[in-house]
Amino acid sequence: MKEDYSSMRGEMLGDGNRGRYARQILLFGEEGQKKLKSTRVLIAGAGGLGSAIAFYMAAAGFGRIRIVDCDVVELSNLNRQILHAQADLGRAKALSAYDSLAGINPEIEVEAVVERISEENVDDLLQGCDMIMDGMDSFPSRYLLNRAALKRAIPLFHGAISGYQGQATTIIPGKTACLSCLFPRAPPPATAPAIGSTCGVIGSIEVTEAIKYVTGKGRLLKNRLMLWDGLEGCLEEVSYEPSPYCRECRGLGRDA
Amino acid sequence: MLISMPDGSRRVLSRSEARIEEIVKDLGINPEEVIVAKNGRIVPDDETAGGSDQLKIVRFVHGG
Ligand SMILES: [Zn+2]
Repeated sequence: MKEDYSSMRGEMLGDGNRGRYARQILLFGEEGQKKLKSTRVLIAGAGGLGSAIAFYMAAAGFGRIRIVDCDVVELSNLNRQILHAQADLGRAKALSAYDSLAGINPEIEVEAVVERISEENVDDLLQGCDMIMDGMDSFPSRYLLNRAALKRAIPLFHGAISGYQGQATTIIPGKTACLSCLFPRAPPPATAPAIGSTCGVIGSIEVTEAIKYVTGKGRLLKNRLMLWDGLEGCLEEVSYEPSPYCRECRGLGRDA
Repeated sequence: MLISMPDGSRRVLSRSEARIEEIVKDLGINPEEVIVAKNGRIVPDDETAGGSDQLKIVRFVHGG
């Protein structure tokens, strides 16, 4: 079942928009804001990471946000999944996300899709999308996104969390290693402990990367894995490179 | 070898050149749960390390 909800108000960057985005236009100009507006993103997951990602992308004015999640809101989600409120218990997360995002920025187009991302529907879900935001909670689903990103040659902004710890990196097909180069094996499945603030840190890094990518500013986390350890209060990075043995991207050309 | 463990602690290890996978196993860590940076760069675990190499063992996470 697929439910699309769209709001198409505020097509042009008018004076009202200039007001809304005034503080970030100081960073990347009206030009950058227009680029955000014309960018369509797929946010994979409306859980802890997806919540932080979606809020900040909607507020920043990414013009078209498609958010996909097949689950319903449960009480144990509410410590971290800030898209959803007490009143949303039992509702589809994607629809609850739609309401939150339309509320924070009615000038963007939001589509909510209540589906599990799979081999069968990933092509449809990515139709027209310029980038993929990783808000998934398992490696098999991330490998699916990675494969789709490689196939469509669109960036994948990776993030993951567990407890006080998190990681993020930016995959640009044709320019960087892919997610499977970095993580050739999925870790054993387990239920990760989670606090909202860690999702906030990592989701925010992913969105910062997406903004940098669209506006052409700064140095992306290309071939660099950022590691956050909240208990230590420590942010580190390690570099990585395309693997000649990668089962996903071996043989695909790279130019930087 | 200077080894940074997943919990952030550090160990100095003297041993002859060995496959990183073996070194990690000998430290009581499941190689499937970690990635390893040798001198700041992530390497496949069939690569070897020894001497004055610095290894950082990272328990990567998968939650969302
Ligand atoms: Zn690869």
